Amino acid sequence: MKSSKLVLSKIASMLLGGCMILSGCSGAASPNASENSAAAAAQPDAPKVEATAKIVVFQSKVEIIDQLEAAAKDYLSETGAEVEVRGTTGDDYFQQLKTGLANNQGPAVFSLAPGSEVAQLENYLADLSDLPFASDIAAGMAAVSGGKVVGIPYTVEGFGIVYNKSLLDPSSAASLETFTKMLQDQRAAGINGFGLSQESYFLIGHILNHPFAVMDDMEGYMDKLNKGEVKMAETPEFQEFAKFYEAIRDNSYNPLEVNYDKECGDFATGKTASIHQGNWSYGMFKDYDVAFEMGLMGFPIAGNEKIAVSVPTVWCVNGQASDAEAKAGKDFITWLYTSQTGKRYVTEEFGFIPIVKGMESSSLDPLSAEVSRYAAEGKTIGWATNLYPAGIVDVYLVPAAQKFFTTSMSADEFLIELDAAWAAANGR
Amino acid sequence: MRKTSAGWYMLFVFPLFFIFSTVVLAPFFMGIIYSFVSWDGLPLNPKTFTGFDNYLKMLSDARFVSSSLRTAYFTLISIVAINVLALAFALVATTSLKARNVARTMLFMPYLIGGLILGYIWKFILGDAFKALGEATGLSSIFFNWLIDPNFAVFALVVVTTWQMAGYVMIIYITGIQGIPEEVIEAAEVDGAGFWTKLIRIKFPLIMQSFTICLFLSISSCFKIFDVNLSLTGGGPYNSTEMFAMNIYNEIFSLNNYGYGQSKAIAFFLAAACLTLAQVVITKKKEVEIQ
Repeated sequence: MKSSKLVLSKIASMLLGGCMILSGCSGAASPNASENSAAAAAQPDAPKVEATAKIVVFQSKVEIIDQLEAAAKDYLSETGAEVEVRGTTGDDYFQQLKTGLANNQGPAVFSLAPGSEVAQLENYLADLSDLPFASDIAAGMAAVSGGKVVGIPYTVEGFGIVYNKSLLDPSSAASLETFTKMLQDQRAAGINGFGLSQESYFLIGHILNHPFAVMDDMEGYMDKLNKGEVKMAETPEFQEFAKFYEAIRDNSYNPLEVNYDKECGDFATGKTASIHQGNWSYGMFKDYDVAFEMGLMGFPIAGNEKIAVSVPTVWCVNGQASDAEAKAGKDFITWLYTSQTGKRYVTEEFGFIPIVKGMESSSLDPLSAEVSRYAAEGKTIGWATNLYPAGIVDVYLVPAAQKFFTTSMSADEFLIELDAAWAAANGR
Repeated sequence: MRKTSAGWYMLFVFPLFFIFSTVVLAPFFMGIIYSFVSWDGLPLNPKTFTGFDNYLKMLSDARFVSSSLRTAYFTLISIVAINVLALAFALVATTSLKARNVARTMLFMPYLIGGLILGYIWKFILGDAFKALGEATGLSSIFFNWLIDPNFAVFALVVVTTWQMAGYVMIIYITGIQGIPEEVIEAAEVDGAGFWTKLIRIKFPLIMQSFTICLFLSISSCFKIFDVNLSLTGGGPYNSTEMFAMNIYNEIFSLNNYGYGQSKAIAFFLAAACLTLAQVVITKKKEVEIQ
């Protein structure tokens, strides 16, 4: 009897505690709400319509999350419309987004990679052709589906060989022979000539872009490859690529033992002369006292001197959202790319290379400046990576590359593996 | 009296029943339905009914077949390693050793670390630290990066799983051993039984219930291994450590084949259920009770 009373009182106290926690939460939330209404009240001339729809922005670029939150705060004080920024820390952004959309709890504004992600979600995307600055976006950069603009590009990014100007001269690595000789010479001098790293895109995803992108009709070739009408093993660009890959395996460290941090650290400290990366990696070098100048050069396949430049991510508006939410989402994107404050955030705080007419940036980091220069000179090739079949990099290409780097398979055998990977990813 | 207790019974069972049916039963039956369609998981995109195609496709999916065989092999080695070690720990921890309480705590601790974190910690040990050890000591035939050798990578998984599970399983064996009446052991000693005779003839039969529980736990958790697999090897090098659950994860979340992945998951469920049921039936038969 006594013990049962004790149990009851324990349960009661637990319930009480639970109530207190709950009320604590709601207590914390309410002053926030009144603050918002106060902010709205303080802006009597702000458009009233937006104030009704508080929208959620969910996006994948981790590097800009703090800055975007600051921008949302300024947006609130300028227009009175509330925007909540959400991000994710892991690699599962797209998965989380799909789960939200599938359950009708998707964000009003979200980011996608152009290409296969946009194609997969095309039923969920709102038409953005009516945005006032849609016609000012640099040609071919917006994501288009069914003749409508559905994605506003964040920026452009470029990748190729990031090299140390004091250790490597681009003209000394402009073909397979000279590139191989460069690797051997660097190795003899105790320096790693060229570095990759174990992460899926840094191991194979990005570098495999080049044999596709140097072709005249990259999309046509990709189409035929997906249908099984052509084979990489019989395509000269890929034959050359496999020989490059072989030279890298035989003359530099094993990328499977090196992660992104170490790859960038070794480069920043001069232990590696060049790495296969893009302008996004500049943030990694900030922690080091980099004592040399760096540049960006094209991967010298088939005499290529161009770097791969394209749009990594686009802003999309949820086509399933209510009209008020969709409008609020469009307004936020418009504000970001056309208002003075918004433009300042995009160029200075996010560090983006401008892609909309009338936007200029004076403070690009050295690698972004290189991308900008290549783009201005027209020395760019596209990104085949966005056209790859969904999931192929992690599920099929990485195993093939791992096999290549842990065995002594030949360049020809590697191409057979890649062809098999492509067939498997297309369900053949 | 009976009425009130039924009311109480309902009151306490209902929340659990409600949660169990919404998060386990309902998704399970919906999953069975989805395993017959070809779909990418997004409601607005088309679902096509394909009958048993998904199930037939599984049989000719070489990667799936090899990952399921590998899972069986991994489970077999792991349960032996886990249970032998756990039993040895339990026997030591039930002696009159002074440090036994400290030892129990230390051995149990790995179980409290989440599988993902555990995987990352061991990734560093078996990768970078082993390589550095090999270079420093010259024993590079043992100390090298285990995670890029297909055979050793599977053993790396076994080592980490054993390290994680053995302490937990040990606790169950300890409870079993402590439940053996003192007089039975004493009687055996008077009759002249040595250490091994006591262990095999007296202790083992009397802790058969613990065996049932421990084998069940280790089989089901090894068979379903995912978190350590993801963080330690990620299925690499070249799929040589891709286990059952990871293959399903890749099919659904990377390749967007929701329906096909779901049918693999059903097959996975059936395999896990048969395996553990068979084990429970067999070990239950061997259980004895002191009258």
